[in-house]
Amino acid sequence: MSRPAPLLATFLLALSGAPALAATVWVASQQGAQLSRIEAGGAVEGAAVPAAPATVAAGGGLLFLSHPDGHAITVAEAGTGKVLRRLPYAGQVFGLAASADGRTVFATDWSGHRVDRIAAADGRVEGSAATGRDPAHLVLDRSGRLFVADRESRQVSVIDAARMERVATIPVGEAPFALALDPAGTRLYVGNVRSNDLTVIDTAALKAVATVPAGAMPYGVAVSPDGARVLVTNQGAGTVTVLDTKTLAVTATIGVGRYPEGIAVAREGGAARAYVANWFSDDVSVIDLASLKAVGRLPVAEGPRSVAVAGEGDR
Amino acid sequence: MRLSLLGASLTVPLVLAAGLALAHGPTPQKVSQSITIKASPDAVWKIAGDFGSIGKWHPDVAKATSTGGNQEGGSRTLTLKNGGTLVDGLDEWKDKEHTYSYRSSGDPDLKALPVSSYSATFTVAPEGDGSKVEWLSRFYRGDTGNEPPDNLSDEAGREAMNRFFAEGLKGLKAVAEGGKATQ
Repeated sequence: MSRPAPLLATFLLALSGAPALAATVWVASQQGAQLSRIEAGGAVEGAAVPAAPATVAAGGGLLFLSHPDGHAITVAEAGTGKVLRRLPYAGQVFGLAASADGRTVFATDWSGHRVDRIAAADGRVEGSAATGRDPAHLVLDRSGRLFVADRESRQVSVIDAARMERVATIPVGEAPFALALDPAGTRLYVGNVRSNDLTVIDTAALKAVATVPAGAMPYGVAVSPDGARVLVTNQGAGTVTVLDTKTLAVTATIGVGRYPEGIAVAREGGAARAYVANWFSDDVSVIDLASLKAVGRLPVAEGPRSVAVAGEGDR
Repeated sequence: MRLSLLGASLTVPLVLAAGLALAHGPTPQKVSQSITIKASPDAVWKIAGDFGSIGKWHPDVAKATSTGGNQEGGSRTLTLKNGGTLVDGLDEWKDKEHTYSYRSSGDPDLKALPVSSYSATFTVAPEGDGSKVEWLSRFYRGDTGNEPPDNLSDEAGREAMNRFFAEGLKGLKAVAEGGKATQ
């Protein structure tokens, strides 16, 4: 199911926007069935959503939530968290990536071993591509490629999002789960849950260039807005490992809550902060990227797993 | 009647096979149990801190063997009284902090516990004049597919894990307060 070229052009335009100056941080709580908005001052506001959301992704003024057990994707407003519609999904949806214009959402089907391109307006599946076994998270780069962590295949699948065809597979560590691109889109960082390390991929060569140790059970990855640091949540250790992207040396290990999972970095004025979903502690750790210290713990609804940043342009 | 019986006998093995093929699902579950014990944290840790010695205090464990001691990578194999077997790998063991973390290894034995994969942390902390022991776990239901049967659902997994931890902590409390295994 290939698509005509104009759609790819739309992707590229939509993806090339500069990083937003102000942002809204959203956290999805699985057990609590809530979206929580975190304000810069630390205030938390909750919005009820359908049961058991696993991941949240932002794009084009919209938020997308996956419901692996609910056969659905929820679409909500990025400004308010208000639920707009339910997109039925014939599979076990897990990872989501939205196009910057919010018109398209890509979803992994955990037990279907594929990724689908879905129209955000009505849930229509526009195309599908095979992945490895148990595809978990995925990211979309500026050139319209999807990188999918194939958890039980020890690889990342690279998919041409316009044609929905797999163009490469890149071997990584054991049980890759979360992944993040640097702001330039030249490096992809992949957290491997069972080998307790991070694979660094050159996105031009589509090859792994390094594997470096993280902590126990890396479950979330984020890169700072300046591209200088990569942050990894270690679910087994209750910590965040911070690595220098040039040297790949560990510069800090920061204690957070229990079983941290999703992590995202938001710019706030001149500063940048990382937000960590502590799944077992039912709160969010806030890390200041200048001092590399945890500066706050914000209670949210039970079972926070995933964090997304909706940019100024998304509101 | 004959038809529905035939249908059931065909369906069940397929569902089980699908669950076993997927050790990790997309929706983890959590349980946490704790108990207070009238004994010092050091005394409780002396009984329960050794990763391989769970058989000395957990009433559901018929037999426990271990290799690798209390080092990362250490392993224990528990034969439960229900006939099932659990194999746990040690991720972290902190003597001073009185805590250890481990996770399941190998294929799940749904007869032992109806869960397909778990990690857990066991901690002894001071509380008043005595101790508080906390045991928590993250796990996936026995059948991680989209339509799990009742006996392999999220709820069945939570119930079994909560019971296994609660029974274990009761057993530990009895041993620690009875003073039988402290020396």
